[in-house]
Amino acid sequence: MNCYLCDRDMPLQVSWRSIFFNELEEVVCSRCQSGFERMAGGCPICSTPGEGKCHDCCNWENAAYGGVIDSGKSLYRYNPTMKEFLHQYKFLKDAVLSEVFATVLKEELRSQKSVIVPIPMNEKKLKERTFSQVDRLLDSASVPYTHLLGKNEVGLGGKSKSERMALQDVFWWNGNPMPEKVLLFDDLYTTGSTMRMAAKVLKEKGVKEIKVLALIRA
Amino acid sequence: MKRIEEFLTGRLWLRNFSPFPKEQVDQAISDGSVTVTPGILDGRQCARCLEKSVKKIIPFFCAACNTICYYCRHCIKMGRISSCTELITWALPSTIPPQSHSFRWNGSLTPLQERASQEVQKSLLQKNDHLVYAVCGAGKTELLFPPIYDALKNGLRVCIAAPRTDVVLELSPRLRTVFPNTIVHSLYGNSPEESGFASLVIATTHQLYRFKDAFDVMIVDEADAFPYSYDPALKRAVMKAKKKEAPIVYVSATPSDDLVKQVSNTSKIFQRFHGHPLPVPEFRSLWSYEKSFAKGKIPPKLAAWVDGKIAKGEPFLLFLPTIELIDQAIVLFQQKHPSIEAVHSKDEDRKGKVMKLRKKQIPGLLTTTILERGITIPNVQVAVVGADQPIFDAAALIQIAGRAGRSIDYPNGDVVFFHNGIVLQMDKAKKLIVSYNGGGVN
Repeated sequence: MNCYLCDRDMPLQVSWRSIFFNELEEVVCSRCQSGFERMAGGCPICSTPGEGKCHDCCNWENAAYGGVIDSGKSLYRYNPTMKEFLHQYKFLKDAVLSEVFATVLKEELRSQKSVIVPIPMNEKKLKERTFSQVDRLLDSASVPYTHLLGKNEVGLGGKSKSERMALQDVFWWNGNPMPEKVLLFDDLYTTGSTMRMAAKVLKEKGVKEIKVLALIRA
Repeated sequence: MKRIEEFLTGRLWLRNFSPFPKEQVDQAISDGSVTVTPGILDGRQCARCLEKSVKKIIPFFCAACNTICYYCRHCIKMGRISSCTELITWALPSTIPPQSHSFRWNGSLTPLQERASQEVQKSLLQKNDHLVYAVCGAGKTELLFPPIYDALKNGLRVCIAAPRTDVVLELSPRLRTVFPNTIVHSLYGNSPEESGFASLVIATTHQLYRFKDAFDVMIVDEADAFPYSYDPALKRAVMKAKKKEAPIVYVSATPSDDLVKQVSNTSKIFQRFHGHPLPVPEFRSLWSYEKSFAKGKIPPKLAAWVDGKIAKGEPFLLFLPTIELIDQAIVLFQQKHPSIEAVHSKDEDRKGKVMKLRKKQIPGLLTTTILERGITIPNVQVAVVGADQPIFDAAALIQIAGRAGRSIDYPNGDVVFFHNGIVLQMDKAKKLIVSYNGGGVN
């Protein structure tokens, strides 16, 4: 098959594992794959490099949104390769690209005890994009998830961080039963406001422990 | 309405991305002057690029329709087409008044060019396809000027399609100068928007996806070039963009055997405009060059060739088979001379680097086949590393060799094929070049 990103022909890689363990097929060539940069260590909530909690997360902890997130991580850096990937996936709406991170997400979420909750899109945006990019990432990885939240029609784009921090009632509980432990999943972590607002609603409704996972840290 | 007609005549455009206010488009549709077609046709074929392979037409659950829709990955960069997107086109006969054209050119054609030019003109009058089979540096573009002017004067709409943006950018200013009163549009990825109805369109073959039944004359430049010869979708795009009875002029230095057989009217020019013979490639063995680069060493014979060019101050182009090998090699060459650069198809500064080479600000460039055609650098010296690799077929090798000796001041130049064993395509390329110099093949 051809690489989903650069369209070059990829030699078929057959291994004993691929035959016996029904592994997911790689859809991106090794050269494109090497353009993505994994994050490791760093802030215990968002993986920003450095010792302990990063500056941004400390600010959140000292505001009204303190304590709503217990721990978390981000998987990839927002570098030029990732920027191009997101452009093609979200802006050009190339839905199959959800498969690019299927193996990594499957591995990451394999033995997850918490209930996985994707960050939702509002209805209007969903109709425009024609698919939910966050749900599709999990679908492609065959990871089960439950929606607990709905989202109002306020876009975060173009708002400053203080404006974002002041936003209220972006998310609402959709009425599904609340589990004890939740892992909130989103594609892109920028300022943290989306995760904080979603986590706050869930904690107020009785969730005891909330972890966050973002595919990309911008 | 006039602007909509000018824009949409012969065009197939995404309804949601039209440059006109929504109400105007809705009005034009309701009064019947603009028609709407679904983005994905029956049989799961893209209405814009005509792709229908199951690898490219992808089903997904569409939240807008709450059902399974299909979308086309092939032309997705031009705005996604899916089952529920709509394409619009002008539906009525044209009311656009004929334009007046003038021809401002004080160059002259060699007798060989002159003959070919007249033969093209004759084929166009008879609505026959025509092949201009002419070596690199024969002056193919110039010989097309008179037939293009003739077609424009007769009120015909002409398209020149080229495989790459680089070629469109090279041709456009020349044609705009020669036809100063003609509305000319140059279309390529992210090209600036242009207004009016263009009688002459210079476009990458990809941009032809956005036309339907538009052109009375279709000129396909570099008719053999990647990706055209490898991509059946682009061939279909040429057929879709022109009117049914419109003739095609194929222009190539290295036409495929199929093309030569398929087109019966052919003009051949096997001499460069300056009259000097084409530089003949020289084969030099370069055993296990891949291992050598992997170990962090430039093979000695290659290093010697490059050193020679740097010492004499002659610009050089070094063609390599893969981006991976270029990534490995460039660091080694930069140890030799820090301003040697590398280019490939994704390189946004490609134009800038070629310009630096032309101005002698850098000694040489490492490149993939992306620079195999369309560029002219005085006194450039050319070498291929791994000329035995399948990516360098005979056509590519002839084009690469055709970079050397193009200018009248430096009609010679090195063409060296470094190889790991001579292969058939190398032999074929050399034999053809020798035969062109001897007056040509029949």
